[in-house]
Amino acid sequence: MKVTVRRAYGEATAFLRHTRRLGWADLAVVAALGGVIFAASRLAHGAVLPMRPAVAIDLSVAALPGYTILSLMRGLAALGLSLLFTLVYGYWAARDALAERVLVPLLDVLQSVPVLGFMPGLVLSLVALFPGSNVGIELSAIVMIFTGQAWNMTFSFYRSVRSVPPVQLEVAAHYRFGWWQRFTWVELPASVIGLTWNAMMSMAGGWFFLMVSEAFVLGDRDFRLPGLGAYMSVAVAAGDGRAMLAAVVAMVVMIVALDQLLWRPVVVWSQKFRQDEGQGGEAARSWFLDLLRRSRMLRLLRTWLRRARRRAPRPPRPPAPARPRIGRVSRLLPVALFGGLLALLGLGALELVHLLREVAWSVWATTLAAAGATLARVLAAVALGTLWALPAGLAIGLSPRLSRLLQPVVQVVASFPAPMLFPAVVAVLAQLGVGLSGGSVVLMLLGTQWYILFNVVAGAMAVPSDLREAAASYKITGWRRFKLLLLPSVLPYLITGWVTAAGGAWNASIVSEYVAYRGQVLTTFGLGARIGMAAEAADFPVLAASVVVMSAAVVLFNRLVWRPLNDYAERRFAP
Amino acid sequence: MADPTAAPPLYALEKVSHTFVLPSGQRLEVLRDVSVEIREGEVVALLGPSGCGKSTILRILAGLIQPSSGAVRVRGAPLTGLAPGVAIVFQGFALFPWMTVVENVRAVLQAAGLPEAEAAARIAEAVRMVSLTGFEEAYPRELSGGMKQRVGMARALSLRPEALFMDEPFSQVDALTAEALRAEILDIWAAHTRNPTSLLLVSHDIKEVVTMADRIVVLSANPGRVRTVLENTLPRPRDARSPEVLALVDRLHDLITGHELPDLPDLPGPAAAPAAPPPPEILPAANVAEIIGLIEWLDARGGQDDVFRVAAESGREFGHLLQAVKAAELLDLVDTPKRLAVLTAEGRAFAAAGPEGRQRLWREKLLGLKLFADVRDALREAPGHRLPRDFVLETIVLRMPSEDYHRVFDVWIGWARYGDLFAYDGISGAVSLQDGAG
Repeated sequence: MKVTVRRAYGEATAFLRHTRRLGWADLAVVAALGGVIFAASRLAHGAVLPMRPAVAIDLSVAALPGYTILSLMRGLAALGLSLLFTLVYGYWAARDALAERVLVPLLDVLQSVPVLGFMPGLVLSLVALFPGSNVGIELSAIVMIFTGQAWNMTFSFYRSVRSVPPVQLEVAAHYRFGWWQRFTWVELPASVIGLTWNAMMSMAGGWFFLMVSEAFVLGDRDFRLPGLGAYMSVAVAAGDGRAMLAAVVAMVVMIVALDQLLWRPVVVWSQKFRQDEGQGGEAARSWFLDLLRRSRMLRLLRTWLRRARRRAPRPPRPPAPARPRIGRVSRLLPVALFGGLLALLGLGALELVHLLREVAWSVWATTLAAAGATLARVLAAVALGTLWALPAGLAIGLSPRLSRLLQPVVQVVASFPAPMLFPAVVAVLAQLGVGLSGGSVVLMLLGTQWYILFNVVAGAMAVPSDLREAAASYKITGWRRFKLLLLPSVLPYLITGWVTAAGGAWNASIVSEYVAYRGQVLTTFGLGARIGMAAEAADFPVLAASVVVMSAAVVLFNRLVWRPLNDYAERRFAP
Repeated sequence: MADPTAAPPLYALEKVSHTFVLPSGQRLEVLRDVSVEIREGEVVALLGPSGCGKSTILRILAGLIQPSSGAVRVRGAPLTGLAPGVAIVFQGFALFPWMTVVENVRAVLQAAGLPEAEAAARIAEAVRMVSLTGFEEAYPRELSGGMKQRVGMARALSLRPEALFMDEPFSQVDALTAEALRAEILDIWAAHTRNPTSLLLVSHDIKEVVTMADRIVVLSANPGRVRTVLENTLPRPRDARSPEVLALVDRLHDLITGHELPDLPDLPGPAAAPAAPPPPEILPAANVAEIIGLIEWLDARGGQDDVFRVAAESGREFGHLLQAVKAAELLDLVDTPKRLAVLTAEGRAFAAAGPEGRQRLWREKLLGLKLFADVRDALREAPGHRLPRDFVLETIVLRMPSEDYHRVFDVWIGWARYGDLFAYDGISGAVSLQDGAG
């Protein structure tokens, strides 16, 4: 028998046999590993260089791959940080009923703070923390990308943990799972799918501010890091069209590579964690995951790891005493953590009030007026986006052929950071004679229309096929079909798209109302422009006031408009 | 009967009552003064209609739920935390879909702190016991209901528990597979040299209970109480078609109807528990279509039929069918002498009438019930003849405090709509007067 022969050979020749059969899949794995190590060392090397606030950016195309890899590493580092934050914060909020009352509203506020609102404080404190090296700037760039990624992942994880089926928790309690076992066997697996989709969205959101994160001006100081975003910024400032185009191409290549090499395999793998019992429709596939699964080296590594784990002595746990003695510590810990959180929040609020006291009434009035102008643009962008994305989304979602063909393309296009296209769009608008006041609506639209499209596509795909057949057999067509069948079916999805798009548009206003173009700065009256200007001028009281107003506007709009609308749609049109 | 000087029972509930607080704040009494014993070596069954709290009793015995009052004892000592020596087989299988068969079993062994080698041996043993060999690496979604429940059994048995608690274990498994699983469980239990020595079976299936249990605890609902306890001394193995088994099944049927349709004089039963006070006017959980279906059924059989035969022939769960019978009785459309359901004169008129006549009759009957007449009167007074749903909910709470008022409201509005009495707008939550209420 083949198996027994193999066993008889023993462990000594096992590695040899596998090496002889190494395939090209293994070569690819080795190459990828090498690339990661190389990039990480470059990043580390650059980070500990002596402080050079204005890194010279080489605009030659040959330098671009290196910059792209550096930006990629920052994005991945930020994603790792987001994941860590998500697991700790989301778990805490889900399991501690006391802290939940503070943590969830806090997350809602954090989500609505514009990304640039975090910037000045972050940069200055981190730079001060590492005097004499670039570590501070490097960290602040990563943290800035993180602030564009983390919140929706955290919300998703929190919701998943809260909605684990009660019977699974009952099994965990009855069979005496420890908290770590419950976390790794029940709660984490139940969150994998939501976390995967949100991480994908977050990664795309993180790129949105790449240009700002890698090259920014604060007062009289100019911070710049070697990377794709900085390359683009410098190219725009220099008006170098060739370099701009090269940067756009590099970005597309990076996004496609990430999609194929990271997200598709993760999505396919995550299907294992479905809660539903059915076989599901068409299984997702990933050529890259197939390749990895074919790799003998990885398989070898896995068995080796498993064996090592098995060999490690695991002391059998003594049977739990009837009355656990750790009760006091485990009861005190959440209270202590919660107290610390409250203290931190109080301190922050005090600091903020202190800062805001310096703001004059007239400034508040201007800020509110600016908020009104930006709100109008946000709504205009959402309306314009709906105008084309609703019919397009219905067409794609209702046709299996179109959705199979277009969805991957749309996904990549949507991940592309719109600000990199702004210079070209601004040039076209200038040709057409459109000022930035209206033009910034177009810029916002570029970034946020995809949320509407995605959601409409998802809604259209979910229209029950028996309803579609019924409509067809009773000859309900055209406008009537839209009104009676399609709109009610996609409305809940459309509203989700609106909420996300509006949130994105607020955030995008900062880079849309305040655009650097060929060495000059174009601005228009609006809250985003005020934030951009205040940050650049290091005018912290005005910055704080503007950020507070924007966060308040987003939170209020969510509470007063989107949430009631969403509730209505769910009550009225939920199946 | 148990000898009071013998060793204390393995697990016991003494005068346990339990009240849930619903998310809406309503208090719902699910158990009242329930006492149950499980002794070493016996199979105990909890039998009752849905809503009698039998699953709650199982969870209290296992230490998953703390009762509001009363004592839980394990070998005579009061229970704190989870009950030792118990493993539960869950109704909905409760397997982790991301774990293979083996991983599902291994998880509970690891949680119990067993060393790897011991766990591997236990897994192999449990998989063999429930005939899952060959399916070790399968994921639950690849398995049929019966195979999934085998995994649930393997998971429980791998811990070698003294008592196996089974919560309606075969209700989501097809009938043939359930038959096989019942026999296998009894075989495993009958090997007296190894665990589990005792079984607790929660069920609503009278035949299942009679073929499996040594002692049958019959429960009644709203709130859950012990109706009576039957010792089942029929020799094993039991043949489901033997006259003795059928006689016991019959007797249980009579016992349950005797309580659920209480216009009967007392049945000759063993140690009849003190009769509970007659419940107030309660809307049975039956929808209009089920009630009309029952009337059509009886009409097609000359106006009467044996309730159990209706259950058996229509394939309805007995407890469910009883709700429809009770509803028809509440509306004076059906009478229930002994175990028969008989159409009344009005019931026959209803069966003979056309759609409009039926609606008129139905409406008259509803207005004979306080719950409908009161709301009709209030709506007449109300501005615009509209009232919020909460008004009706309050009326329901006042009249039947131990019922889940959301469920009752659904039944109530369903009946009212068929009678064209009231309309209800689910979006705005407004109840309004319809033409029929005039």
